[in-house]
Amino acid sequence: MKQISMLAMILAGGRGSRLKELTNKVAKPAVSYGGKYRIIDFPLSNCANSGVDVVGVLTQYESVLLNSYVAAGGRWGLDTRDSGVFVLTPREKAEQGLDVYRGTADAISQNIDFIDQYNPEYLLVLSGDHIYKMNYDQMLDEHKRQNADATIAVLSVPLKEASRFGIMNTDENGKIVEFEEKPEHPKSTLASMGIYIFNWKLLRKMLITDMKDNESDHDFGKNIIPQMLSEGKNLIAYQFKGYWKDVGTIDSLWEANMDLLDEKKKDLNLDDHTWRIYSEDISAPPAYIGKNAKVEKVYLTQGSRAEGNVKNSVLFTDTVVAEGATVIDSVLMPCVVVEEGATVIRALVADKVKIGKGAKVGSADSENILLVSKNVKGAE
Amino acid sequence: MAKAFGIIASTPRRINIRGLQDYRPAAAFSFCGRYRVIDFPISNLSNSGINNIQVYLHDNPRSLTEHLGTGRHYNINSKRGKIQLLYGRQGFVNDIYDTDVSEYLTNIDYIRRMMQDYVVIMPSYMVFKQDFEALLNLHVESGMDITMLYHKVDNARDHFLNCRYLTLDKERNVLSIEDNNGNTKEKNIYMDTCIMKKSLFIELVKKTVEYSSAFSLAQMIDVKCKEGKLKIKGIAHKGYFAAIDDFTSYYDANISLLENDSIREVFRHDWTIYTRTTDSSPSKITESAHVTGSLISNGCTIEGTVENSIIGRGVHVAKGAVVKNSILLAYAKVGENVTVDCQIVDKWANISRTKELIGKPYEPGYIRRRDII
Repeated sequence: MKQISMLAMILAGGRGSRLKELTNKVAKPAVSYGGKYRIIDFPLSNCANSGVDVVGVLTQYESVLLNSYVAAGGRWGLDTRDSGVFVLTPREKAEQGLDVYRGTADAISQNIDFIDQYNPEYLLVLSGDHIYKMNYDQMLDEHKRQNADATIAVLSVPLKEASRFGIMNTDENGKIVEFEEKPEHPKSTLASMGIYIFNWKLLRKMLITDMKDNESDHDFGKNIIPQMLSEGKNLIAYQFKGYWKDVGTIDSLWEANMDLLDEKKKDLNLDDHTWRIYSEDISAPPAYIGKNAKVEKVYLTQGSRAEGNVKNSVLFTDTVVAEGATVIDSVLMPCVVVEEGATVIRALVADKVKIGKGAKVGSADSENILLVSKNVKGAE
Repeated sequence: MAKAFGIIASTPRRINIRGLQDYRPAAAFSFCGRYRVIDFPISNLSNSGINNIQVYLHDNPRSLTEHLGTGRHYNINSKRGKIQLLYGRQGFVNDIYDTDVSEYLTNIDYIRRMMQDYVVIMPSYMVFKQDFEALLNLHVESGMDITMLYHKVDNARDHFLNCRYLTLDKERNVLSIEDNNGNTKEKNIYMDTCIMKKSLFIELVKKTVEYSSAFSLAQMIDVKCKEGKLKIKGIAHKGYFAAIDDFTSYYDANISLLENDSIREVFRHDWTIYTRTTDSSPSKITESAHVTGSLISNGCTIEGTVENSIIGRGVHVAKGAVVKNSILLAYAKVGENVTVDCQIVDKWANISRTKELIGKPYEPGYIRRRDII
């Protein structure tokens, strides 16, 4: 097999349980976002656009849909002879029984044989559930320039939020001197984005040791990175500027959708022709806006029909807002139908849910966004 | 396996649509925002299980070959089926030789090589939905030699003037195929669509040049109708039907989609219309926008007023701009406070310096590709 410079592994095994019913039947990376995408389209498109041609996707939780979705590598142009998207679920091996992925590092360890086939010089480790656009090739350039053993992408976050993240304390050259997981009193605001470039030979050795360590959580943040630091390895923080969002909760998923309507969030422009986000091709006609519709500040995609009042909302593929219906500050996921006279306010409506005639869901002054995951009967 | 293969004919010589056709054949015209006209015949075939399709190319093949590519996006079985792009002869000493039959004759070996017993021939300048599996079964069961598809219209006096019509007897046997000269309003417009055995097709192609080197297939079938030796029957088509045979008909075909819920009839979940994706993002309609009765493709930013219009991919309508009764092709720009009414604006055109472009529904205006106005 042709040797490649950098191979990517996307960690996509998590459930994302704070997304409640949205992830009952699909893993978080497969959750719909932004009208026509699924979250995992972002790291996959970033790989394709950065020239990272071989991508392993590590799946575990409710992976049927996710596996078949990513296996069609052609969606991201990753289906040439030398490229591919490979679904890697836990598997039984000749020398050991079937075992789940015990942690982020273990998911990579259990697939060392896969990575070895390509004999890459560098390994890029990504998370399957973040929304951002990033050129990994530029990050690799920096990794090489700094002669690093590992490079970790970091994002400057507001100080008051820093204790929610893994924080990197660096010297003036960007060399990481300390790593603190969710520190109570953060010393810096550089948060780890869960994007790592490793020299594969070194990481491989460390993973084999880690696998045998029964004390270890087999986790990059908890075990591998601290171990590298204690061994005095050269770890570099690569500062990313731009939009990045971990959509962990219903509120943050709603917010990430609303950010598409925010004029100030220019970094999230999905219409950038030099850095497209690719997705499944859905055969649906253009969005139709009805003769009596009132549509104001709306992000909408093909297949949607808006015939009522829609304000400050995101309409996904094949959604219908009937005449006389009102949708405000809401996100309607694929195939949602809001029937005549129904009202939806400050809600995130899950795939295929029907809001019956005259029904009312959500309220303008709710603290949290309402997740509607079951059909709502119409008012009589 | 399907019993038939499909032939999608090139745009006939008699059809010449000003402006638009300078850049691409009618088959590659943008339709309903994100589609091209040829997506409709190919999707009809694909949905009917006909996986082997010959597309005949003529002038300016660039946009069409790029759009069709390998044909994978048409949901055609990649092992058992394929789309063949075939070129006819170019550079005739006289245009009268430039016929569909001459294209078939040039490629007769590729036609002979098709494994199917029947052929379904259709045009690339008409839009309609047709289940060819059902039509083929009907053809085979009826024992006809040729089955021809027609659409009954009541506006043939001033429409379909570059089309042909069928004269039928009570049993719907075709008596003749003639040019529509607009002398009556009710006519059975021939949809340039027919089914016959492959062997009969090859025979007809050969007979045509023995009869006249300037004859088209339809003219030859007309001769056969009059000879009365072949059993040739017409079948009426129902539902949405548009012929793009002149400039105004292109405008009408698009705009009429916005009326009477034609969109729902043309785009059904059980009859997908396939096209090539461009991976555009969804569209943004801002706070200042007023959009009603329109189709908006992906990748657009709408900040102004849009009424009764079809908006192609990546179009920008700026604040204060008004777009009415118009068709904007991909990446067109309408600048601030510009009013555009009854216009077809070709790709990449930018209207910003002229503040008013007003046409009439029966005489829409046209802005050329990449022009700055």
